[in-house]
Amino acid sequence: MRQSGDQVQLSEEQKLFLGVVEQISRPLVTISRMSELALTSECTTTDQWQIVQSIINASLQLVESYSLNLRVRGKLTPLNLEPITVSALLYDTAERLNPFAKQYGVEIELEPGPRAQPVITDKVVLQSALESLGQVFVMAQAEVERHAYVRLGAHRSAHGVVAGYYTASSTLGVDSLRRAHAMQGTARQPFQQLVNGPAAGVFVAESLLQTLSVHLHVAKYHNMTGLATTLLPSQQLQLV
Amino acid sequence: MHVILIEPDRIQAKLYKTSLEQAGCTVEHVTGAQAAVHAADEQTPDIVVLEMQLTGHSGVEFLYEFRSYAEWLQIPVILHTFVPAHELAHGATLKESLGVKRILYKPTTSLVDLCEAVRTVALSRV
Repeated sequence: MRQSGDQVQLSEEQKLFLGVVEQISRPLVTISRMSELALTSECTTTDQWQIVQSIINASLQLVESYSLNLRVRGKLTPLNLEPITVSALLYDTAERLNPFAKQYGVEIELEPGPRAQPVITDKVVLQSALESLGQVFVMAQAEVERHAYVRLGAHRSAHGVVAGYYTASSTLGVDSLRRAHAMQGTARQPFQQLVNGPAAGVFVAESLLQTLSVHLHVAKYHNMTGLATTLLPSQQLQLV
Repeated sequence: MHVILIEPDRIQAKLYKTSLEQAGCTVEHVTGAQAAVHAADEQTPDIVVLEMQLTGHSGVEFLYEFRSYAEWLQIPVILHTFVPAHELAHGATLKESLGVKRILYKPTTSLVDLCEAVRTVALSRV
């Protein structure tokens, strides 16, 4: 019989769910405290409403990503594989992430890469993964005291088109990603070298990328370190 | 009363800072442990409000560093954190050896509660 206080190993799905729930509690706390402050002051400014709007939208995005991940894995939503241009997708992702980043004083630097090759993938799933991942990088860089920026970029490598987020932080590495995996679902701050909090966006993004048969990895580019995925270019489309 | 607020989330920090300032405190906000030590060096705080979940150096690491300086040994610390009290490892050590006076769980702590805790802890020191 299990003793009271014994830890039970959570399944991967439960770990992911726990992380998302704990992540979502943060913007809820922010909104709750904002409303408390607003009730004691004379008026709520447009700036405050913009903050509320952007953090709610970011939270909805994470929930949508989590839901999409479950739906794709359960084959409730089929993958729609099609040729896409990575640079266009990165542009859209940056556009969507910008309002959230702006509230945290973080600049998104877009570097779509020179003539990034077309890849065959599910655009919605890939974009959802990149947006969830981007939120984590924004939060991480928001802690930086000086000029805070995140580079969203793509470049060609020997293995394919590498797309992801990069920062000047030197603490992010293969070991910290490995530790984050080991701590996911047990620690409240599994990715301590990257960001405070549950870093749910990293794990949701990773799970979504797995449905596309690619994975999240530590990547280096132009003296910056980040998390990225390597997409396989379509050999046929290159001939077109 | 001078407060050092160690809070990694800038938007939340602004709310706590505004609230504490409305309660009559001066507040220096920093996002990490290293900056907090520098801030304390610049102006000794009357009280420190600390989130345990920090990037890089954790809240516990900050506490050990902070308490290693004799002049800061008596400065009270309030944990205002997303980690519930019962999950904080070595809770007794935090209180007895590291001078943590209160542990406030963010989801259930209103701004009024935070200001009241800061006032009460600061008064109890006098």
